[in-house]
This record gives sequence, structure tokens and C-alpha cells, in this order.
Amino acid sequence: MKSNNSGNEIRAYIYSDVPPTAEQTARFSAFIAGKYGLELTPEWIQSDQYKGGFCLSVGQDVYDWSERGRLKQLKRKLKNAALTGEVIPLIRKAVEEFSPEIIADEHGQVLEVGDGIAVCSGMSGAAYGEIIVFQSGVRGMVQDLREDSVGCIVFGDLETVSAGDIVYRTGRTAGIPVGEGFLGRVVDALGSPIDGGPPITPEGYRQIEAPAPGIVDRQPVNKPMETGLLVVDSMFPIGRGQRELIIGDRQTGKTALAIDTLINQKGKDVVCIYVAIGQKTSSVARLYETLKQKGAADYTIIVSASAGEPASIQYIAPYAGAALGEYFMYSGRDVLIIYDDLSKHAVAYRTLSLLLERAPGREAYPGDVFYLHSRLLERAARLSDELGGGSMTALPIVETQAGDVSAYIPTNIISITDGQLFLESELFFEGQRPAVNVGLSVSRVGGAAQTKALKKASGALRLDLAQYREMEVFSQFSSDLDEATKKRLQYGQGLMRLMRQPQYSPYTQAEETALLVAALNKVMQDVPANKINTFAKGMLTYLKQHIPDVMDTIQASKTLTSDDQSAIIHAAKEYLKEFNG
Amino acid sequence: MNSGKIIKISGPVIDVEFKDGKLPRIMEALEVMTDAGKKIMEVQQHVSGTVVRAVILSESDGMTRGMPVTATGKNIEVPVGTATLGRLFNILGETIDRKGDLPEGTEKRSIHRKAPSFSEQTPIVSVLETGIKVIDLLEPYPRGGKIGLFGGAGVGKTVLIQELIHNVATKHGGYSVFTGVGERSREGNDLWTEMNESGVAEKTALVFGQMNESPGVRMRVALSGLTMAEYFRDDMGKDVLLFIDNIFRFVQAGSEVSTLLGRMPSAVGYQPTLANEMGELQERITSTSHGSVTSVQAVYVPADDLTDPAPATTFTHLDATTVLSRKLAEQGLYPAVDPLESSSRILSEEIVGAEHYSVAMQVEAILQKYKELQDIIAILGMEELGEEDKLTVTRARKIQRFLSQPTFVAEKFTGIPGVYVPLSETVRGFKAIVSGEMDDYPEEAFYNTGTIDDVIKKAEALNA
Repeated sequence: MKSNNSGNEIRAYIYSDVPPTAEQTARFSAFIAGKYGLELTPEWIQSDQYKGGFCLSVGQDVYDWSERGRLKQLKRKLKNAALTGEVIPLIRKAVEEFSPEIIADEHGQVLEVGDGIAVCSGMSGAAYGEIIVFQSGVRGMVQDLREDSVGCIVFGDLETVSAGDIVYRTGRTAGIPVGEGFLGRVVDALGSPIDGGPPITPEGYRQIEAPAPGIVDRQPVNKPMETGLLVVDSMFPIGRGQRELIIGDRQTGKTALAIDTLINQKGKDVVCIYVAIGQKTSSVARLYETLKQKGAADYTIIVSASAGEPASIQYIAPYAGAALGEYFMYSGRDVLIIYDDLSKHAVAYRTLSLLLERAPGREAYPGDVFYLHSRLLERAARLSDELGGGSMTALPIVETQAGDVSAYIPTNIISITDGQLFLESELFFEGQRPAVNVGLSVSRVGGAAQTKALKKASGALRLDLAQYREMEVFSQFSSDLDEATKKRLQYGQGLMRLMRQPQYSPYTQAEETALLVAALNKVMQDVPANKINTFAKGMLTYLKQHIPDVMDTIQASKTLTSDDQSAIIHAAKEYLKEFNG
Repeated sequence: MNSGKIIKISGPVIDVEFKDGKLPRIMEALEVMTDAGKKIMEVQQHVSGTVVRAVILSESDGMTRGMPVTATGKNIEVPVGTATLGRLFNILGETIDRKGDLPEGTEKRSIHRKAPSFSEQTPIVSVLETGIKVIDLLEPYPRGGKIGLFGGAGVGKTVLIQELIHNVATKHGGYSVFTGVGERSREGNDLWTEMNESGVAEKTALVFGQMNESPGVRMRVALSGLTMAEYFRDDMGKDVLLFIDNIFRFVQAGSEVSTLLGRMPSAVGYQPTLANEMGELQERITSTSHGSVTSVQAVYVPADDLTDPAPATTFTHLDATTVLSRKLAEQGLYPAVDPLESSSRILSEEIVGAEHYSVAMQVEAILQKYKELQDIIAILGMEELGEEDKLTVTRARKIQRFLSQPTFVAEKFTGIPGVYVPLSETVRGFKAIVSGEMDDYPEEAFYNTGTIDDVIKKAEALNA
């Protein structure tokens, strides 16, 4: 199709298989005169694309009156109808009442294309963030509105877009279909299923960029999001609606920690969303298998923008995931969303920004890279009761280089989240897994969300351990340590051992409480470090056999009475005798 | 009304054409109606005889070229006066606490104002007690002065600022203004809830432009809060407390829009106008002959790099600086104030008194010596040190621990009740350590305590 807004002169063309009759041409001229107030006779161009009709183009506007064009109109009608509640009667009504209208489609033309960016002419009414469709069906998003052109990022195969192609506006800003049907599915960043399953029937459509809940739309985080990991639940408890960063070098168990948390939500009525950004497709497939095996797939949605996808797709993937999560959050549900990982997301955004010729700053990231993540993570919140009290807990993952937490992107995200779990490769290879660095990890709000039982049981564990680590460093070159110091070092070492926990084996709240009560009351003080884990396992079995009612009470009431505490200590000591004997 | 139309949109920066050539002034507010309601922009530059470049104070999504824009003839204005107390505002001075509108006829002021002149300045003379040992002893805060809390991500800036609100604002009795700039909305909610519970809210105006908002908002919201504080100082002659969390975000937002405004980037991608922007804002935060403003500003240190242009530019404007260190936070020593990096202009014998000054100097000397000895200890071990050095090390470690204390704000997480330590007690405690009176007490007893009497009690409990 020809571009007809070169210069200021508006021209009109008529496309059809056979030339229009003189009568038809006169009708077109009359229409143009009536609509645009212009004296124009459309020029005929032979085209076989408009079967059973014709296409009139005036200036930027296109009137498609072919079979295809009318079908497109019907499709749009049905799509709008299907989004508003009672579907079938509305569709019926839409079909019955359908009569093709003369609607102008605003269009433009691709001027330049390359590296995932297209610059287009025309589309003067295009809005910032609007989705546009290229001739081949590939979609794009408006990122730059200049005086005489529009800069877009392209979501798809660039080979199918070429300079001179026509681009259509859609009138919608980027959004994603949402609904219950997405649970248990794997979708791409635009919401289409990629797991080979049937199409998903959406219940709504949400903008991928949505404002975060305001200050009074929130309420304090005070319900626990149990991870089942002793080290996290005792010292860095996570609350529903909290943002807790998981940070560490590659191969330190970041994803494993997040997935353990996800699996532990089974039966707790939490919707989980896993957003894979720039990952290997095979890793995502393996993860999906694991979730299915553990029975966690049913309540999980995987949004995958793999390493092979264009940067534009990787850029919107986490926002799409957040939009899916918001659908559940605003209906009063609790959501857990994992972004794996945001360092790759930042890199994708840097690629786009540099290609859009925005000036680079620190580490060549654009100036607004902080805003990129802050507006994403602020959407995770605990809503006020007036808004249904739903929540979205976010676990973003960030990869560091050589353990450097003070690099640019890591510190940016640390300053956004409500705490971080720092995983260290040294600990990981020592066998301390999950390899959480107790000193550098923190949870700023979770304390208020911890169950009373765990809070009472864990006491000043974190500060004790931090002090132990400092003392360990301080005393490593001293040969003659006094007895008290030796005891404290041994105690600290025992606690660190206790924090080791294999993957896919979460503890219940009662188990965690019992372990902490026994450990902090120094029942395990004299158990050799390498036997602590065997002891812990045996002790839990023993407690379940001998004081099952105490364990059940703790699990159900989530509190810890002094009687229960003494019962646990007593039973643990009994077991210790058995263990030593 | 003077009106124009949008011709270009590039993120938060929007070009507007006024065909008749009657351009709105720089800093003038422009209005545009969209499907999502009224949006406000602020003129930054005149780029030609008919076109102005403006920054929008909301999202740009859904904006199109050709939209009509109205020049308001005014700057952005916010309400001032006692009606603002106990209320929560956004950058435009609109209430966001769902408690209804402000009373009719509440006075409004432009957020852009001149800094007080040379003749209006008043020098600082007295100490503001905070109840936090490390601050009161080593870097006392001046009443009517400007205080900066520097720290990287997650070392406890916000906790410390909230602790100061708890300790100072509740006792202060006067008016306070809290400005949240580009920080977490969740914290805003926590603070609002807490202030209402403690009753401090009645004497406080809160203004928020948090990190989920567009750069235009974060770039200007500090001025909105400041304007409210200035009114209390200048028109009502009050002594005002002004809290800003976090001033770095103001610079950061400026750098986000800078290149889009067509400026060349300066060092590490910051705006070339960084020092001026900071100066214009900071010079307005000052005590005058009418009234005083004591300001506490949190300053985020990007990538833990204190030489980054943003924190480096802020240093010069402050009377006292508190530097928070990740190393101390890692050891569980909270508040993680680095005693050797932090400083105060009023730590002098004339202002704090001879006893306080000499104790503070001895404490600093011991800590400095310990810092130097640490390398030797790491390589050779404690045994290789002479007797005197060994004593310095043990005292230094006791001082380090005694500098930590439980805070009121962290009470709900740690379960340990916070303490307020009067200045006289602080001086007495450290005097006891440096004079050797406490040499027989175990190091552990000093950790996370209030006064020196608490240490003695804790030591007894440990021995029992």
C-alpha cells in the first residue's frame, strides 16, 4: 500500500481487483468531500488483496471494505463483547446486531527497521504505550512520539517487518488477557499459551503497566508467607505483600530457594506466578516438570520470555506477570510472584534504551533503570480491607558477579525491596545449603508477620549468629581460646549446621518451632557438628511420637506457651540421651 | 486561557506548541485533559519561539500528539498552614488520605521560592539530643541545623530516620513536615499508621511522591514539602522539623529526565545541572531570624560509593553527617553508624562542653587505633600485640558494642524494647569505658544495651 501523507498534501487511493465504475468513483469522491471537505478523486491501484470489495485510503485513514475487512470488524466486536461478563448472550447479540460500519483505521508506514526497533510515519493519534500491528501481524509498542514519526519496539520476528510496510493502530495500550484459566499453564509475555495445551479463555484484560496501590490503599504486612525453610522462616521471615530479594552469584541456589517457597504453598490457597526472563527454554521446561511432579503446577502460572526472545519481549515479561498477579490480588487472593531474574531484565532494557538512542549512565544503563524496577516491584502490596485485603508477595532474583552486592543493579533493587536473602557461593560449596549469608541478609517487615510461636522460639537468633560469625573471624588465628569462647563458637557452629536443609523438604511451622526451641536452649550444645542434622531429624520423629498433641497445638494455634516449650525441651533432652546412648 | 497542543512525547518529557507564540513562563504549570483525568506538566525550557519543553507529573501512557494543553499562568502550588497538619498529600498538594478536602480558602503557595538572604541567616549554637548514643556522643546534631544520613541500600537509613521521628518529633512539641521522595509506598503506609497511633500525626504534614511515581513527581515533591515547612518558619515563626527520605531520589529523578530534556550527560550519567539543582533546594532549607528548620535528610549512596556525584554534592550542605556502614550492619551492630566516617560541625569544646568533648575524642582515638591494629591482628593474631595494644583492642571492642542500642522502631521485629539514653548518661557510660573502670566486664555485656548500668546488670545476668 502506498503512503499517502508525504508532505502536507493529502491524497486518496482506491485498491481493488477490478477498476471502479464511474458511478462508484463519484460516490467515493462525494464521501471524501463529506468527511474531509476535500475535492479529491481517488486514484485506482490494482490489488488482489481486497477480495469481494475494495479499500479506500485517504490521508492516514483506511476504509477496508473487503471480506477480510468486514470479518476483522466482526472479530473486534466479538472480542469486546467477550470481555464483559455474561459472554454467550453478548456474543449472540453482537452477531445479530452486526452490520459493517464505515470505520477509519489509522495507519502509518515503516520508515526504518532494525535491531528490534521500528520508526514509523503517520499514526498521528497514536498514544504513548499503544500497541500497533505491522502488516505481517507482528505487534509492536509505541515508545517514542516525535514530531513526524513514531518509535516502536517490535514484539516478534523482525524478518517479517520491512521498510515501507503498513502499520495499524489498535487503540489499546499493551495488555494481557487474565483469568483463572491461566493456572497450571505456561504462557509467553503476551499471554498466549506455549505449553501445547488448548487455548485459554480469558476472564478479563489488564494493562501490563498499571499504577501501584497508593499509600492508603495498603495495610501493614502481617500475615506470614511460609517458605518451609528454617533459615528463612526463623531469621528472615517473609510476609504476604512483602518484596524480598534473592541475590547471589550464579549457581548458589537462588532459583531453588524460590521454587522451594513456591512448592511449600501447596494447599495454602496462594496463587503462584513464575516469570522467567532470559532463561534457557530447557530450564523452564525442566522447572515445569518438577512443579508437576510436586503437585505444584495446578496453582502456578509460568510466564516465559526465554533468552531467544527479542529484548522487547523480555522487557515486558515481568509487567505482564504482575498484571496476571494483580487480577488475583484485586479479587482478594494471595499471590506469590517470582521474577527470575531482574538482572537479565535490566540488560534487556539497556539494549532497548541504547537502540532508542537514550543516553547511557552508570554501567551504560539508562538513567531510568531504577524506575524500571521500582514501578514493577511497588505493585506487590498488601491491599487494605476496603480493597479486599488481597496481597502480592514478590521474590525478585538478581545475579551478582563475584559476590559483589554493591554493584549498581543489585543496590538499586536492594533499595526497592523490603529485604534481601544473600546467597554466597563459598557457603554453598561448604555444603551450607540454602547458602544464606546471615550477616548480609535482612527482612525489614517480616518480623511483624512471623507467627507468635516462631517469633518466640527464634528470639535473638539472627543477632547471635551475626556475633558468632564476627567472633569466628576474630579468633581464627588465636591458639589458646578460653573455655567460654570455645563453647560459644561450638554453639554457633551447631546453629549453622541446623540451618542446612535439603531441597524439596520443607518443615512445618511446628517443626521449625521445635527445632529452634531445642537449639536455642542449648540441648544440642554437645552434639558434634557433623551429627546435628541426623539429630534434628531423629528428634522431630521422636517428638511426633511422644508429644504429638503439643506439636499439633503449635501447628494449629501458631502460638507457643511456656508449658509447650518445657515439654519440647524435656522431650528433646530425653531423645538426646537415646541419641548418645 | 492560553492554549497549545502536544507535538512530541518522549517518556516523561513533552513538547508543547503554542502557535500564537505566547509562551508560558519556565516553571509554569500546564494542564492537559486525558481519558484518565487532568494531568499537570511543568515547563522546563523554551526550545523555540513557539515550542516549550515540559515534564509531566504523572504517567505518559495514553497521551497522544495533538492533545490540547492549557497554560495556567501559575506555578505548581501547594496548601500551607495549620490546615495541612495531620494530613497526607501528593506532590500537587491534593490530599490522598481519604479524609476529604481541605477547608475552603486554605492558602496556597508556589513550590518555587527564593532561598533566604544572607542577612536573614542565623548561626547554630545548641545541641539537639536524640537519645541515640553514637549520635549524641560523636556527631551531635545541631538544633536548627542540617543533618544527613548516608548509607547504601539496606543498612538502616529509614529505620534511623523513623527512630529520630520517634525520639525527637514526639518530644519536640512543635510542627514537623515529613517528605517521602522516591521511597517505598509500604513504608509510607507504615509511617502514616504509626504516626496516627502515636499522635505525632496531629502536628505533622506528610507529603509523598514514592518510587512508583514518574520522575517528574520525584523531582518536585521535595519542594512541595519544603514549601509547607517554610510557611511554618517564615509566616508563623515556628521551629520546624523537616524530614526528607530520600534526597538522593530527587537527584536521581532529575537525571532520568535530563537527557530527554536534551542536555548532555555529565559524570556517571548525571545531569550537568546537578550541583545547581541541589544548591537551590538546600539553600532553602535553613534557619532564619524568623524561625528555625532542623532538617534530617536520608541520602542513599548508590553502589555503596560515597564518591558518587550525588552523595558527594550533598555533603557540603550539611552541618552533621551520619554515615551508615554495611560492615557494621553485617556484624549486627545497629544503628550501624560508622563512628569514624561520621562528623558534626558542633563537636567542639565551646558548644558541647569540656567533659563531653574529651570523652568523644578519647573514644575516637581508641577506635582509630583499633582500626590500624586490625591488619596486624588478621595476619599475626592477638598474641603478637603488646599489653597496651591488647588493652586498646578490648576497650575498642567494648566501645563498638556499647555504641549499639535497641531501637523503638525495630521493637516489633526484634522483640527487644527500644531505649532512649539521655546525653549525660551517654557521656558517663563512655567515660567509664575509656577510663578503664569497665575492663573487667565481658564484651558481650556491652552489646545492644542502653546505659552503663544496663551493662552491669547484663554482666551479672551472664555470670549467674
